[in-house]
Amino acid sequence: MERFVIIGAGAAGITAAKTLRAFRPQDVITVLSTDEQVHSRCMLHKFLGHERTAEGINFVPADFFEKNDIYHISGQTVTGIDTAAKTVSYGEGYSVPYDKLLIAAGSAFFIPPIPHFREAPNVFGFRDLSDALKIDAAFAGGKRVFIVGSGLVGLDAASALCRRGAQVTIAEMAPRVMPLQTDGYAASVYQKVFEDHGCRFLLGIGASDAVVDGEGNITEVILSTGEHVPCDFIIMAAGVRPRIQLAQAAGIRAERAIEVDDHLRTSAPDVYAAGDCTGLSGVWPDAMAQGKAAAENMAGVDTVYEKPYPFKNTSNFFGVTMLSVGRLDQTEGADVIVHKTPKEYKKAIVRDGKLTGYLSLGDISNSGLYLHLIKNGVDVSGKLDRIFRLTFADFYGINEKNGEYVYTV
Amino acid sequence: MKRIFIDPAKCDGCKNCTIACMASHADMTPRRGSLDELRQAVYALDLTDPAVQSRNRILSDGQGGYKPIFCRHCDVPDCAGTCMSGALEKNLETGLVEYNEDKCAACYMCVMNCRYGVPAISPDRKRIIKCDFCAHLEEGPACVRACPKKAIEVREV
Amino acid sequence: MSNCTGCLSRNTCPSADKPMENYIRSLPLETAHHRVEKQETKCGFGLQGVCCRLCANGPCRITPDAPRGICGANADTIVARNFLRAVAAGSGCYIHVVENTARQLKNTGLHRDKIRSEKALNHLADLLGVTGEDKYDLCVKVADAVLSDLYRPEYEGMELVEKLAYAPRVKRWKELGILPGGAKGEVFNNIVKTSTNLSSDPVEMLLSCLRLGVSTGLYGLQLTNLLNDVVLGDPVIRSAPVGMNVIDPGYINILITGHQHSLFTYIQDRLLDEDVAAKAKAAGAKGFKLVGCTCVGQDLQLRGAHYTEIFDGHAGNNYISEAVLSCGAIDAVLSEFNCTLPGIETVCEELKIKQICLDVVAKKANAEYIPFNYETREADGDRIIDEIIAAYTARRGTVPMNLFTDHGNKNTLTGVSEGSLKDFLGGSWKPLIDLIAAGKIKGLAGVVGCSSVAYGHDTLTAALTKELIARDILVLTAGCSSGGLENIGLMTPEAADLAGPNLRAVCKELGIPPGLNFGPCLAIGRLEIVATEIAAELGVDLPQLPLVLSAAQWLEEQALADGAFALALGLPLHLGVPPFITGSKLVTKVLTEDMLSLTGGRVIIDGDGKSAADKLEAIIEEKRRALNI
Repeated sequence: MERFVIIGAGAAGITAAKTLRAFRPQDVITVLSTDEQVHSRCMLHKFLGHERTAEGINFVPADFFEKNDIYHISGQTVTGIDTAAKTVSYGEGYSVPYDKLLIAAGSAFFIPPIPHFREAPNVFGFRDLSDALKIDAAFAGGKRVFIVGSGLVGLDAASALCRRGAQVTIAEMAPRVMPLQTDGYAASVYQKVFEDHGCRFLLGIGASDAVVDGEGNITEVILSTGEHVPCDFIIMAAGVRPRIQLAQAAGIRAERAIEVDDHLRTSAPDVYAAGDCTGLSGVWPDAMAQGKAAAENMAGVDTVYEKPYPFKNTSNFFGVTMLSVGRLDQTEGADVIVHKTPKEYKKAIVRDGKLTGYLSLGDISNSGLYLHLIKNGVDVSGKLDRIFRLTFADFYGINEKNGEYVYTV
Repeated sequence: MKRIFIDPAKCDGCKNCTIACMASHADMTPRRGSLDELRQAVYALDLTDPAVQSRNRILSDGQGGYKPIFCRHCDVPDCAGTCMSGALEKNLETGLVEYNEDKCAACYMCVMNCRYGVPAISPDRKRIIKCDFCAHLEEGPACVRACPKKAIEVREV
Repeated sequence: MSNCTGCLSRNTCPSADKPMENYIRSLPLETAHHRVEKQETKCGFGLQGVCCRLCANGPCRITPDAPRGICGANADTIVARNFLRAVAAGSGCYIHVVENTARQLKNTGLHRDKIRSEKALNHLADLLGVTGEDKYDLCVKVADAVLSDLYRPEYEGMELVEKLAYAPRVKRWKELGILPGGAKGEVFNNIVKTSTNLSSDPVEMLLSCLRLGVSTGLYGLQLTNLLNDVVLGDPVIRSAPVGMNVIDPGYINILITGHQHSLFTYIQDRLLDEDVAAKAKAAGAKGFKLVGCTCVGQDLQLRGAHYTEIFDGHAGNNYISEAVLSCGAIDAVLSEFNCTLPGIETVCEELKIKQICLDVVAKKANAEYIPFNYETREADGDRIIDEIIAAYTARRGTVPMNLFTDHGNKNTLTGVSEGSLKDFLGGSWKPLIDLIAAGKIKGLAGVVGCSSVAYGHDTLTAALTKELIARDILVLTAGCSSGGLENIGLMTPEAADLAGPNLRAVCKELGIPPGLNFGPCLAIGRLEIVATEIAAELGVDLPQLPLVLSAAQWLEEQALADGAFALALGLPLHLGVPPFITGSKLVTKVLTEDMLSLTGGRVIIDGDGKSAADKLEAIIEEKRRALNI
């Protein structure tokens, strides 16, 4: 009988809890979270856009903890980890002991050192439900929103607020929207659809200063061009940083992120880490996979966690869907094949007979095999004329014993 | 758990399985789902409506043969392993990977991650299209029963 | 080569005729009933009519991903095209039959051969406005009038249409532009029309179906009966045995299959000649007998009063032909049209039954082809007789007997025609009209057409008939549906007990069953003559009559051509399963809804007997209300 403690109730934490329960029906499992409500941050924009309630963005059933006999200590901030005594302290002087600990504390939104931004009460992130609640409250007071960053988070927030009639201005340092996932054309399509819904984009431009009122609220953002943009509140979507403070304070090795080995063990015995705080990836599915692998190791099942392939993304804004896999910006010395019709846009980047990047704008049904091909460096040199019409039929294989598919390359 | 086993050598590409799938899902009311009921449903299918979708696909292998693409309800499913809304989950009792469209937020991570490219997206872009093993039919998967070549069959694994 | 008895499916399809169902299940030979199970999976695209196999780019199917064939044809075009092609083929079948029938009438006249009904001849001559020097000349002239119409090119209207059809209907057809040209030319033209990349106008194609219906119905159905009556005799109402009990193993038994009674004129008399009878006796038999199966059997039964010596009775419909042959006492099959199931080839092979084909269109792979040719009929006839005697001699005693002597019944009412029924009622339709007006008979339902097995052998036909008569609706039948219904006793006087109280009283008083057998599917034409005469007496058009039609278990293309005639006549037509049209919203809507405003008729699809009867009864009641009765 072991006592498992998990810090964090996000993708990694909850998946770990589920996995632990499956392997250890009787053991004690405790999950600590600052949020009251378990929620999927990938659906936060549904909450902000008033499409779903807080309960509606829960990615596990409402009775998850009860049914699985897991203690959920919610709405509490973890204050410290004692790796010698093997306890975790939280809230006003409480603590919980552990035999094995998983840190799945995630990452926090980052505010760059722009004057006034770090102090202003009306600058928000868009990571957690608490962020969304603050934004909700701010929106009641004024509809002019300034968003820093047009990555996925920024566009998520923008799409939610546009739905509610906000006047949105988005500043992006790169010359195009969603710079990591798009190329020029795909970005222009998204830009147009957001503009059609009330957004104004400032590309290649950053925020460099601000005008504040008596309470320290920013009333105008001053751009690097010198232009003043009036606003009611600001959402920072300019990146996140893994939460390493707890680990560092406990003497666990963490520079940019919490260091883990291929079994997701940290430098402290019986302490594991999974999810965004490991810096291995910033994507939900990878956090789930890490939570699962860490939990299996914690339960005594030796599981090697293979480095994830993080360059993968789907987006669905205003009915425009896109799949983006691989390094689209790395085109030097590679073949770039483009397919463009009024309804679809696809780009394939092929280097040495292997697919290294894939972009598809339009109907992305049945496109899952492209991630597999890119991730595993599958040779597609004989299939370049059909590169956009590849299916599993091209690699078809069946495991005779259990009927599962296998790739034949 | 039960799985639909495929013998691609027997597949003729007649696509009767795709029609049976459409007929089965034209009405999600739990019922017997006999071949006779399915035939009546086939008569009423609107085959010109893109919203009527089959959850399986029959692809040509480019050499005169056909490769049926059916959801495997994998032992370790890529799709459920990436779902951020809890909509896709492997039912540990039946082994089926179940999809709850009410929870789904149409993020399409499952579409991106299924290495066999099984899930498709509904025309209204609000749901994914994936095999549910005809859980609402007592007689089980309609596709299997509609195959005139017996290229697919349900087996226990 | 014989039937693999080891791999027989023991699961045969259900039949409305339970004794027959058990008999078939116990057979060591495979029949259509055995094959239903393995063919249970139907192609969905085929069911919907959206598969097109006309060209090498295909077969194309309409799917949500691919709403048009490669050529650009959409579902409406493909479905309408498939449907018109089927109606054209079906029309061709019937026109083939009337053409041969007219040719035999002409031969009769040219060679001054036996005319069994001068009354029928004179009636026809009046109807068609033909005169002649004597009865033989009249035969030739009547036949020529029919043939010249059939042979007209399709761009010349057929002249006899207005003479044959009900005037209000002709008026409507003129308005719709569906008066047919030469019947054979129409078939030809519509085959051309439905070929690759030709017509893609579904509405024009549906109107063409109606046009083909008119020519099919007036010539193929109505005229064939009237032409046959001249040479073969008028139908006479009588009580007759039906079912497999009619087969007497003491005779050399010949099963006849097809639709062309006129091709048997010679042989059915020759078989009774003394020298032929002597040959039979020398071989050890009491003589020859013809056993009826399919529509030609119904025709012989209809006129059976004139053939009591040579014809023992009608054994059953098309889908029990294999079972009938399995009894062992049938020595030969003479086939000249459908339904001559390919399935009989293996049965005949196994049981050494001689197959002779009289018309190449019904050639079975292992049948000997001795085409009926009037000029050489005597020599051919003798050859046929000798071959059959040889078969009898070779097979009897060497093949197993599996008689079914208690199958069917002994007192089915048959011989009903528009003439004999009217005579029965005293020479006028008034008694029937009065009974309908008084509500003693709620209405008339023609339950006609084929027998099918995929969804049960005659099961829907029987269920529907029982529901209809229970609602006091008098049922008139024609076709293989008759063959099924009579074998289960629905056309015996006792069947009146299954009728509703009013109809039961009428039946018992008149001594008739609640279902009247008009004979072969050709006699659907007779039924329609009855309807026309009643309508004329009431001074209304056909859509106003409290009359419904059901081809509940329609089987093939001829049924669809028949159905097109029913629609052209403005009648409600019930079908048990859709005729491969549901893939096109337009075609379905036109046939099931819009047709009402075009001709007054429409198609009603319902696979359940009770539910269909509800709908048909409601229609009859609606028409009664409109007539104020």
